[in-house]
Amino acid sequence: MVTADKVQGLAKARAVYQDRTQRVKELQQEEKKIFGYLCIYPILELLTAFDIVPFRLFGDINEPVTKANNYLPMVVCPFLRSYLDLGLKGKYSFLDGIITSHICDVGAGVPAIWNYAIKMPYSYHIDTPHTLRESAQEHHRQLLDSFQKSLEQYTGQQLDPGKLVAAIGKHNEQRVLVRELYDLKKPDPPLISGVETIQVIKTIQSLPVAEGNQLLREVIADTKERRDKPARKTSRLMLWGSILDNTSLVEMIESLDASVVMDDTCVGSRPYFNDVKITENPLNGLASHYLNHIKCPRTFISDYNAQQKDYEGDLKRRYGYLGDYSREWHVNGVIMEALRYCDTHGYEVPSVKDYLNQIGLPGIYLEHDYTLGMISQLKTRVQGFLEIIA
Amino acid sequence: MFAIFFAGVDLGSTMTKIVIIDETELTVAATVKHTGAEHRRLASQVMKEALHTAGLTINDIAYIVATGYGRINVPFADRQLTELTCHARGVSKYFPNVRLAIDIGGQDSKVLQIRNGKLLDFIMNDKCAAGTGRFLEILAGTLGLKVADLGPLSLSAKNKVTITSPCTVFIQQEVASYLSNGVPVSEIVAGLHDVIASKVSKMVKRLKLEPDVVFTGGVAKNIGVVRALEEHLGCKILVPEEPLLSGALGAALLGKEIVLNALAKGQTVPKSERRLEEAKLFT
Repeated sequence: MVTADKVQGLAKARAVYQDRTQRVKELQQEEKKIFGYLCIYPILELLTAFDIVPFRLFGDINEPVTKANNYLPMVVCPFLRSYLDLGLKGKYSFLDGIITSHICDVGAGVPAIWNYAIKMPYSYHIDTPHTLRESAQEHHRQLLDSFQKSLEQYTGQQLDPGKLVAAIGKHNEQRVLVRELYDLKKPDPPLISGVETIQVIKTIQSLPVAEGNQLLREVIADTKERRDKPARKTSRLMLWGSILDNTSLVEMIESLDASVVMDDTCVGSRPYFNDVKITENPLNGLASHYLNHIKCPRTFISDYNAQQKDYEGDLKRRYGYLGDYSREWHVNGVIMEALRYCDTHGYEVPSVKDYLNQIGLPGIYLEHDYTLGMISQLKTRVQGFLEIIA
Repeated sequence: MFAIFFAGVDLGSTMTKIVIIDETELTVAATVKHTGAEHRRLASQVMKEALHTAGLTINDIAYIVATGYGRINVPFADRQLTELTCHARGVSKYFPNVRLAIDIGGQDSKVLQIRNGKLLDFIMNDKCAAGTGRFLEILAGTLGLKVADLGPLSLSAKNKVTITSPCTVFIQQEVASYLSNGVPVSEIVAGLHDVIASKVSKMVKRLKLEPDVVFTGGVAKNIGVVRALEEHLGCKILVPEEPLLSGALGAALLGKEIVLNALAKGQTVPKSERRLEEAKLFT
């Protein structure tokens, strides 16, 4: 029987969560190259195939933004301001390179500022399209060709297709393991809390894929056996929204009479709930996966050719998976959260609300500003919401 | 037969309110004091006053519900509920047909959609002073007036100035500018009330405007804001006789419901230790 202090996987995840750079810095000593990546659209499989370790880049809610004020106004995404600030303060200076993608307008502009103000040995920006139109698909496919060539130039090696297929296999294995982890959130009470889930996901996004997979296997095995599982709460919530790269908001929610049992966020289920199909040319499967199968509002999904717009059908097409999640994870309420000035998620909120109304699931929208100062005000809103749905 | 009493403690950012009711829902004590900086210390003092008024001891209270911004700092409370739920219940006691309640307190404003005494939906203001009681306190200071004088003064205004800034700090500058141009103070005050009404009416419209509309909180004592809200919303606004007490009353009423529901199920409700002591930091 596994006791609280013997939950090895979770304890390891917590340790990496608290010091994300320790392992990749060790790997650098072993001559491994470490590339930081922003958002979930850079093609990690290509990095792994070239034996480069992907390391996800985040902000730091505890670090006041100072240097980034010289480059970005206050009225843009506070996460990106924080991320740039850390870069300007040299917190990411150990990286061998950086990969970014067109996540949103500010997210596309920050890499240019970064390249201007922070000199990196290597940087690459993937101009990921925002629609699923045929031309966008083709364009995205061509972008991956260019990215591959750039990596070949950097490493001085031709891409070995076998290595790429193997990398896709490893990353798909990670996706399967994360889904297995999320299955442990289906019982009541869940076997793993929302806070622990963020810690585990952030950890695997800070390790080489094989090490992340090993950690996930340990976390899953230990969690299945744990005695100190989270307490049963009245409400089982799903979280939808912007990046949450720290546990503060979920910690606050779970300090109340609620468990976060499912999420659709990018330090959560979003990058892991579909596998990459292995196609004859593996880049085709990758191009299709990253554009079509990651459900982030940064990609506009619609029936592009419809003569008449069917709003209700559109809602189902765009958010039907949220309905599936709510049924599978027995969710009785949804918290929609968006960072202040995150237009990508903010503009999506009314239609997500409409979809939730359509399926009869109560929801509340919280806007937060990537500071700890708002937590107690948000707590009253969340508690009020829980009192309504209880 | 012994009477049973229930207490609601509304520890707001500006005022601490306590209401004690008996089992017939009759108010036997209602106390309001300034919260001040040391609100942890104050809750027990205000409770002592309320108990003294009612001629009761703390052990006579069957159940105590704490609400408001400082609800976690009431060590003698049996349960904490949000001011959202408590206001909805308290307002419904005053006005059973209420469907929308506006509460403007010291540090926040909220709009509640209510059905049959229960909270259905709500909106709270953002992290911004404009649209709260604090805004009026600051601007009253700028104008050298008492907050209580603002309402009657605004009713004597023939016109109202247009305030263009969304921020309290910049509104102070705008007010100084109007003063230096010789604009009557009453017209400036009327303009300030319009700022609050404009902000809150936008929140109302994000929910659904349905009468009866009730206005509570300290700012509801300001007749100028009441009139400005009626103008913006185009409907009659109802204000309870004591608009500060709806949260505490609701908390007491909900305490009674919690106890009765538990009794009906043959259950007991967990209670705190009935010690009137100060809440300690970081405990």
